[in-house]
Amino acid sequence: MRAVGLIAADSIRALLHQRLLVALMLVTLGLTVVFSVLLTEGREWAGQNIQNSMVIEGGDQLDAESLEKTDQGIDLAGSFILAGFYWFTALGGTLVALFICSTAVANDLRRGTIHIVLAKPVSRAHFLLGKYCGAVAVLFGYSVLIGVALVIFAYANELDLNLAARYAPWLMLCHNLMVGSVALLLSLLIHPLLAAVVAYFASATFLSPPNPLYFVLPSYDRYNIFMLIMKGELIAPADIAMLTLYAFDFTAIVLLLALWKFRRKELL
Amino acid sequence: MSVIRTEDLGKTYKGGLVALQGLDLEVNPAEVFGFLGPNGAGKSTTIQLLLNFLRPSAGKAYLFDQPVSCAKTRQRLGYLPESVNLHPYYSGQRLLEFYGGLLGIRSVDRARQATELLERVGLVDAAGQRISTYSKGMLQRLGLAQALLNDPELLILDEPTSNLDAVARREVSDILLELRSRGTTIFLCSHILSEVESVCDRVAILQGGQLQKVGTLEELSAATGSRMVIRELPPGLLEALSATAAQVTLERGVATIEVEDQEVSREVEQVLREHGVDAESVETATQSLEEIFFGAIGREEVR
Repeated sequence: MRAVGLIAADSIRALLHQRLLVALMLVTLGLTVVFSVLLTEGREWAGQNIQNSMVIEGGDQLDAESLEKTDQGIDLAGSFILAGFYWFTALGGTLVALFICSTAVANDLRRGTIHIVLAKPVSRAHFLLGKYCGAVAVLFGYSVLIGVALVIFAYANELDLNLAARYAPWLMLCHNLMVGSVALLLSLLIHPLLAAVVAYFASATFLSPPNPLYFVLPSYDRYNIFMLIMKGELIAPADIAMLTLYAFDFTAIVLLLALWKFRRKELL
Repeated sequence: MSVIRTEDLGKTYKGGLVALQGLDLEVNPAEVFGFLGPNGAGKSTTIQLLLNFLRPSAGKAYLFDQPVSCAKTRQRLGYLPESVNLHPYYSGQRLLEFYGGLLGIRSVDRARQATELLERVGLVDAAGQRISTYSKGMLQRLGLAQALLNDPELLILDEPTSNLDAVARREVSDILLELRSRGTTIFLCSHILSEVESVCDRVAILQGGQLQKVGTLEELSAATGSRMVIRELPPGLLEALSATAAQVTLERGVATIEVEDQEVSREVEQVLREHGVDAESVETATQSLEEIFFGAIGREEVR
């Protein structure tokens, strides 16, 4: 397992030297900040408008009921901002996961660096696991970064970080692990770019029940908690546990398939 | 125990291209084995099969009597590919330390061993330099250094001096000779015939995916034929020689007799004895590796 750790560390180093990946992460974070600032401004503007309309409707004085409605409106706007923040970072995270995992082995094959590594006493299984672990470490770092940003953002804007939002970075990571493992498997069969695109769309999310693929392809719907955050609804810890289990099981099965394929792959 | 053994090894690529056919090869411990052939002969395919990068279409390959798929056996080998592709974001020193880790070298020894090897291949001044800034020659030297990291029992070298200048070539040859004296088995694939001739104990020549010849230089030379030069010709000798299968040419009173195999050679020697020509007055010229090589691949030697 020492080899897995060393290859994972090397993989992280390689990823951090990929300008495209770093640019993708920076653009995601930059757009998130811009989007959040705009939404915050919008929220203040919406709050002001709600108050103004209440004042016009109810005369100079606002009664307790109107004030409560105003607060509810402002809270809704707050939840919408949080949900928007999550949506942007989740999309960015998915793109990062697809990019990292679809190129994890493909880049070594393209550069030819895989040959010297596999001429060492490193099994193909350890190599692949090392590459995936490196990708997981970067995705974990991304999720932690997003979690911290979410807390800071909520605190700075005096937003209530509801229970759904608190679990958002973890569910984002679970989703990215699944989507990433599919991208990794597909990259062993087809071009990495195509693998990333297919991995993104190979989901029951884009299908409806009469289609047989709906019952075969993974469903990521429950990891997309945009609406839950917006409505401020709760996610039960048992649900989180189930979603985590599903993600881990699914990832393990896809990785086993990837290992099976990689062991037979010709490294030209 | 054989270090490398292949049994009827074959590889046919998708699309039907036959790269290797029925290769039976055995490389013994402490042997320097030259693997020759023109481009497309199947040399690189053989190496890739030995390292388990490719799956054979037929036959089997073993390293240290273990199937090539066994990762543990690679603990005992070093490999230098023809195109040395190394992780560009490391420095030379850090890269060797990374590979040292994969080889299971203790972390306390990795840095020391890396420095020693960089010194040995003449890269100690560039140890901290990013690999992306290395020249082709420097990459080749670093590639050789990584192949030597674990003090391997078997060294597989694919064109080790292809990107090196004359001085560096000599240095690499010296390293190979030193490794040979220490009993390292070397599987050397090279286009530079003089290099192979100077360091190899045995040679195999591959052509069109098939093994044409294998043996020591003496064996190959003898099997391929020899040349005898006679300066003082007794009467009747030329006529007697022309009756044999040998090819005789006469120039300025000097006869050159070329024989293709040992049977003809024995026949010629009999004729010479009958005409009183003793062995001392016969100059025997054995064939060079170049002559053997071009003979084996069926092409005229380009001079």
